[in-house]
Amino acid sequence: MIRTDRLTKRYRHNEALHDLTLEVPPGSVFALVGPNGAGKSTAIKIIMNLIRPSVGRAEVLGIDSTRLGAVELAQIGYVSENQRLPEWMRVDYFLEYCRAFYPSWDNGLAEELVRHYHLPLDRRLSALSRGMKVKAALAVSLAYRPRLIVLDEPFSGLDVLVREQLIESIVDCTPEATVLIASHDLTEIESLATHVAYLNEGRLEFVEEMEVLSARFREIEITLDSPSGLPSGLPAAWLDPELSGVVVRFTDTHYEPVRSRDEVARRFAGVREIQSREMSFRSIFLALAKSRRTQCA
Amino acid sequence: MVPFRLVAHPGVPIAEQVAFAAKKAIFSGKLRPGDPFPSVRALGRAMKIHANTAQKVIAQLAAEGLLDVLPGIGTVIAQPPAPRNGRARLLTRDIEQLVVQAIQIGVSMGELQAALGDCWRRLAREDTA
Repeated sequence: MIRTDRLTKRYRHNEALHDLTLEVPPGSVFALVGPNGAGKSTAIKIIMNLIRPSVGRAEVLGIDSTRLGAVELAQIGYVSENQRLPEWMRVDYFLEYCRAFYPSWDNGLAEELVRHYHLPLDRRLSALSRGMKVKAALAVSLAYRPRLIVLDEPFSGLDVLVREQLIESIVDCTPEATVLIASHDLTEIESLATHVAYLNEGRLEFVEEMEVLSARFREIEITLDSPSGLPSGLPAAWLDPELSGVVVRFTDTHYEPVRSRDEVARRFAGVREIQSREMSFRSIFLALAKSRRTQCA
Repeated sequence: MVPFRLVAHPGVPIAEQVAFAAKKAIFSGKLRPGDPFPSVRALGRAMKIHANTAQKVIAQLAAEGLLDVLPGIGTVIAQPPAPRNGRARLLTRDIEQLVVQAIQIGVSMGELQAALGDCWRRLAREDTA
């Protein structure tokens, strides 16, 4: 659905995106996550042809992103955090106005979305709350049943109820549509996403299927017989090893039950107990972000 | 409404978590034989999971004999198998693991049996107790 090849975006003094190569498979719900300023929005803007890459290319629905035209855009739903809406329009007029652009507009679906979101048809967009504006933008983006849905930080600044409604709408679009969501927080979509790409400081740290990711991360806690120092040259796959008394703790990024145990036994003398704990996606990303920071320091 | 809920359990594939929640609902009688099981759409919405994941859950439950797929009607909860003796051996490995863990953390046999009984009574319908 989307393919990027060594995508790089340079501004005068900094590089917002470096060498991004990834593929969003059809039917996936693809989460692009990372801290603020990681390059998520830059990537999305290139994909949507709002800005041009300095190097590399992106292919969307089979064509080069810089050549995206009306035909392709009519098959892509796009909602972004800082999207500008025609604020002076009333909601009913806004729907009517958008309808004209999309041959595949589905009136029944539009009405259902208006009802589901409780959109006030007779109000101007400028008079709506932030949550309502996002819902209005999403309603007009889903009503033409796009093949591809691109959401840039759709949940930021929204209350839980609105988030809930947005997620339900996204669920309803699966498996027919492919969804790309950029978000700094994965909590909402971790059960829904099929793939996740983690960006940090413009670079892709990893891209993986969710099931694979949750299987390979574990928090490991080792209890030693007697206090000792941390051995040097521990595997790079062990993030931020910490020692406190007889307890060693780290995040294993390539966990395999047997192999990880053997590795621990090889590195430490007098291991009394090894515990491995499954990690939520949130703690996985936190561990990654933290380890990057300590490496830079 | 889908009569079971997903309690997030990190590190376990989401399809497995949903299938397990559904099984608990079936064994505890929240879903009874003949009751309709949620459609792919309804299950996806309720659990906030991808339609393909919901499809996978339903296919798995059907393959395990917990659901009957009635063409043109939908999916319903299947009749449970009659209790049979001699099947506990299928759980040997799980039981060993549980006992080893219990001993490791200092749980007595009586305590473990009581906990097992409590859990059984909580999850299983009266007629299978």
